Amino acid sequence: MVKKVQALVIGAGPAGLCGSIAIAENGVEVLVVDEGLVPGGQLPKQTHKFFGHEGFFASVRGFEIGEKLYNDAVNLGVKFLMKTTVSGIYEDVIVLYDRENERIYEINADYVLIATGASERFISFKKNYLPGVYGAGAVQTLMNQYRVLPGNDFLIVGAGNIGLIVAYQLLQAGANVKAIVEASNKVGGYLVHANKVKRMGVPILLRHTIVEAIGEERVRGAVISEVDDSFNPIKGTEKELAVDTICLAVGLQPSIELAAQAGAEIKYIPELGGYVPIRDENMKTTVDNVYIAGDLASIEEASTAMIEGYIAGYNIAQKITGLDLSENISKMKKELEEFRRGPFSGKVRKGLKKFGVEFPEGGFRTEPQKDEGPAGKLRVKIECPQNIPCNPCETSCPTGAIDVGGNINGLPYVDYDKCIGCGVCVMKCPGLAIFLVQELSDYSIVGIPYEFELPEKGEKVLLLDRNGEIVGEGEIEKIVRNSKGKTHIVYLKVPKGLEDNVRHFVRHEEKEEEIVCRCEEITRSEIEKAIEEGYTDFEELRRYLRISMGPCGGRVCRLQTLSIISLKTGIPISELESGRFRPPSIPIPFKAILKGDEKDEI
Amino acid sequence: MSRRVVAHPILGDLIEEEVIEFEFEGLKLKALKSDTIASALISNGIDIFGFSESGKPKGFFCAIGKCSSCLVVVDGVPNVRACITPVRDGMRVERQKGKGKPVW
Repeated sequence: MVKKVQALVIGAGPAGLCGSIAIAENGVEVLVVDEGLVPGGQLPKQTHKFFGHEGFFASVRGFEIGEKLYNDAVNLGVKFLMKTTVSGIYEDVIVLYDRENERIYEINADYVLIATGASERFISFKKNYLPGVYGAGAVQTLMNQYRVLPGNDFLIVGAGNIGLIVAYQLLQAGANVKAIVEASNKVGGYLVHANKVKRMGVPILLRHTIVEAIGEERVRGAVISEVDDSFNPIKGTEKELAVDTICLAVGLQPSIELAAQAGAEIKYIPELGGYVPIRDENMKTTVDNVYIAGDLASIEEASTAMIEGYIAGYNIAQKITGLDLSENISKMKKELEEFRRGPFSGKVRKGLKKFGVEFPEGGFRTEPQKDEGPAGKLRVKIECPQNIPCNPCETSCPTGAIDVGGNINGLPYVDYDKCIGCGVCVMKCPGLAIFLVQELSDYSIVGIPYEFELPEKGEKVLLLDRNGEIVGEGEIEKIVRNSKGKTHIVYLKVPKGLEDNVRHFVRHEEKEEEIVCRCEEITRSEIEKAIEEGYTDFEELRRYLRISMGPCGGRVCRLQTLSIISLKTGIPISELESGRFRPPSIPIPFKAILKGDEKDEI
Repeated sequence: MSRRVVAHPILGDLIEEEVIEFEFEGLKLKALKSDTIASALISNGIDIFGFSESGKPKGFFCAIGKCSSCLVVVDGVPNVRACITPVRDGMRVERQKGKGKPVW
């Protein structure tokens, strides 16, 4: 039997959820259908904080936004059919396939909002079919939603926002990122995202691409190479990387299938991500009762997907109820206008122009602040060089010391008379681009936003600059935990003059896993620590750490241990006691000893 | 090599949940109740979900049900998308070869 609904929303991602909220707010019954296991689309895997402003959840993490929108929709009476795919939109009926109950539903809807999102692009290179070549978003789903890492050592292909974000989140999940390769000559994503991984030592190789995956049954490595101006690999520049997973972050393509089946006219607009449905400024397609929103309409950010969802939703509600919702609609259009003024929306603006949908550009502050603030005062340094639509620094500052110049895309300025160095903006900034500095008489303080396992106060750490290079040794001066937002502030004591360089740190033990004694698994740092405690003689170390007491009898570790003692104490090896050489020189079984005793012969 | 993310600076520690047992190519493997077949296989270090018609190894690609790269045979039924199918206690999963044999 064909069931009838007033409004059908296809896709429970940010666009679909906001669309369903906008419709249901006006008393219209809404059914949301989504093939995923949980609602939220790609939000549940997004552990990063959103850009934008408070109205659209700036500084809130994606998975929390997904939960909130879903709850809001449910509270408004929106019905959800999860694990259900719209298998076809026919002239007379829409067919849903519920794969859990293995059954079909037939429905008719007065209005349809299609928010099917996008899928990851695939590119060709040798052996790209091997297991271990995965979409970057796929890896993000597995590690953040299902808590499994499909490898240890990753190569990321593509330095757009997805590649950069996934690289950072891989580090948070405990994996290694060997490199990010990017065929063009610049990072495509936000520089603040790039800076987060660069300062942790992940190289971003511009004008590089992947040419081959190495392995027979799964990825064991990757061959990368430089590319020329037409993005063709340059012979002779190949380099092998030892990685077990290759993440492709080479863009998304709109999932247009259902929109096309609904009869919406499709056009190829590369700036919008490829084939997209033609639509007007109200998100209406060429079919009167079919609307679209989100990545299906143009590959963009989740914030704009939410706004488009509202625009489409209010329009549908207005048509169904006859209510005048023009105020809601124009408010959302204004939001969208603000979000799309910046340089990162250039492509979308250009693409939409081809439909006759125009968005204004500019009107925000582009000149970075020159004032560095008074030396000696604890104050913020904002390293936010691009015009991104984002203002939590401004709205979170308790003393009103930060402003972005009246337009959300503007570069932030700090009023150093008002800044009290409290660090609230450091914790809020979605780009982790705000630091604290203070020059003191003997050393300087650098406060950094930190989203990893916290170090101990007083711990000695290696200081890293913006490129992840070690620039010196420092100490953890203070930690301000942010148990709710999870962006903590770690204050570092750094040598004077380094306050402008230090932007991250690495803990000593993470760097040192150098084994000296293979039999007893004793590390170099354990030996160094013991020497610092006063055990400066080989025999003492042997008794204290069991070094050279394993089956090899010290063949492997004796000289190494002596050289460490020599380095630490300054006494040449020739003047050190080499330690005794006791039998047995190799382990022999008791059985052999007993046998030897029985028959007294050689 | 493949592993579970137990501690996480943003998501917190992995919440303890029911462990179930399923079968993969005759091997008894463990999974968490919230796992998909794909995440269960990956957590057990299994990357090859099947083979193409010509015998090339296949794994997942998109993990959100769009690419159909992760098709496996579940309880004798082929073409099940491992990435959006929850794993079940006692489930029998096999690698799919090619297009899979139809079950009538």
